[in-house]
Amino acid sequence: MGEGDGAGFQPPQKQEQEQWMERALTMAKEALENGEVPVGCLMVYRNEILGQGRNEVNETKNATRHAEMVAIDQVLKWCHQKGRDRKEVFEHTVLYVTVEPCIMCAAALRLLNIPLVVYGCQNERFGGCGSVLNISQDDLLYTGTPFQCLGGYRAEEAVELLKTFYKAENPNAPKSKARKKH
Amino acid sequence: MSPPTWILKMVQPRGTESIGRTWCCEAVENMTWLLKEWIRLKSFAELQILSKILSNPVPIIVSNGLGQFFKGIMEPQCKKQKTRVLSTFTWEVTPVLSDEKLCEVELLEAFAAPIINKKQTSCLIKQLTCLYPLNNLPHIKRVRNCRDKSDHPLEIIICLLRDIPNREVSLNDLFPEAKADGLGEPFRVRIPAYQPLTRSQFEVASQHWPTTFRENKQVTDALQGHLFNTEEKTKMQTFMEKAIEAATVGKKMGMEPVGAVIVNPATDEVVAVGHDCRNGPNPLLHAVMVCIDLVAYSQGGGAFNHNKYHNCCFKAVESFPGEHAINIGKPLLPSNDDSLRENIVNGLPYICTGYDLYVSREPCVMCAMALVHSRIRRVFYATSFPDGALGTKYKIHTKKDLNHHYDVFKGLMEDECQFLLS
Repeated sequence: MGEGDGAGFQPPQKQEQEQWMERALTMAKEALENGEVPVGCLMVYRNEILGQGRNEVNETKNATRHAEMVAIDQVLKWCHQKGRDRKEVFEHTVLYVTVEPCIMCAAALRLLNIPLVVYGCQNERFGGCGSVLNISQDDLLYTGTPFQCLGGYRAEEAVELLKTFYKAENPNAPKSKARKKH
Repeated sequence: MSPPTWILKMVQPRGTESIGRTWCCEAVENMTWLLKEWIRLKSFAELQILSKILSNPVPIIVSNGLGQFFKGIMEPQCKKQKTRVLSTFTWEVTPVLSDEKLCEVELLEAFAAPIINKKQTSCLIKQLTCLYPLNNLPHIKRVRNCRDKSDHPLEIIICLLRDIPNREVSLNDLFPEAKADGLGEPFRVRIPAYQPLTRSQFEVASQHWPTTFRENKQVTDALQGHLFNTEEKTKMQTFMEKAIEAATVGKKMGMEPVGAVIVNPATDEVVAVGHDCRNGPNPLLHAVMVCIDLVAYSQGGGAFNHNKYHNCCFKAVESFPGEHAINIGKPLLPSNDDSLRENIVNGLPYICTGYDLYVSREPCVMCAMALVHSRIRRVFYATSFPDGALGTKYKIHTKKDLNHHYDVFKGLMEDECQFLLS
């Protein structure tokens, strides 16, 4: 049934996609200024932003609070407040994010049956849409539905933000152990 | 007047064998099981019957159904001549190792030659290191002893078969410029392509050619089933029972029957207990995600409101290392308690670093990766899940590209958790 419902989804025009990505990049820059991992994201349902998040890991002491997860919660809240069927909403929601979602977020997006993810640069460390694993497309019967990915939008800018962030160390992380040779 | 109902809970003493559910049910008629190990007895006589079938004294808690409890030891009435072997559990945990650790030893074809003149050995090694450095095979010992062959005591690897374009075998072809003093006729040999990771791989590899091997004692023990002693197993069972208890509560609320417990193994304290909440307002609140957030609460953070779920609880950092004061159902909001926040500013603990997770069912991709992000130390689960990411569909905990890895063991109280899912 889930796939049947999602079939009514029409991917937005390229120009529209670029507008939303522009906005996501602005958010990523804001995140960087606040000392968070510079990832910006938007969840757009029928031309309306229902959720926008940035990484909140340090604030919440919860390492799963990635931008996508924060945005998902906002969409859930919106559905709850408006009395909307969350399944229908997520099946017509596009995620715009500056960095390829990680494995965890990709699985979460599957579980919510989101049809399309538009992203900027690849996530070589944790990417779940092809870089490390391909959760978006893999055959997983009990983990929602696969989603389509469009990567590479202003990837250089997104990478540059990440590089700037990772130059400065995370003051909250414990000292890393000496690297072992294998 | 109906006869009094006795509810009995047998507490498994440390180091004794587990009292199996089926066994008791068959032995005593009319007993129905409540939760996991509570049994309802219709009369005190049944209690006496039960005591007859016990082989060891068992501490018990008896409730008369009116909120009165009696704690004591139930002695067996007829002692068996031989007490059964201690420390048997109804379950067995097996490590979920990476594919690399489980795979068969891969071999490469190479040329070796006998060293006729032993005095030339070091010179030959130098020569060969320049000529054929074997850069990708640091685990291979270049020279091997051959005690059984009396005519030459040592043999040396010259090069890989793939290093030679024409696959010729004469010494002149292998040494186009230099002289190969003291070497005998080359022969083909198969050598291990990678350093062995487990003892069994090492044993197979060594039969082909000597390799270096840094044994991971834990992996060896785990593969031989010697990893955990009785005391540890008893603890593990206690924690999994807690997870099952939480799952049972969640199941009654219409959730997936999955429960999870996060433990600080340094103190054996339960840091968080949670059950699946995905059928509530947030479909992503799987038991593991709930627990990760409860750990965050214990450190003064947290993102979700778990007030509705009284069996999802945590132990606040500020109460370390005191008594078992678990805050039930009322996580402190970050803004409400500044003293708790100060505790965190001082440093540790940092998310789930060093903690163990006990979960009744194998985590999905989202949860398994959430545990990577949370720097969990070890995961114990009971039953597999078709899309499971810690052994079934993926082995995210061993994925080389990721920046954190953790140990995973499966099978802990598998039958009980299977029962929970059915």
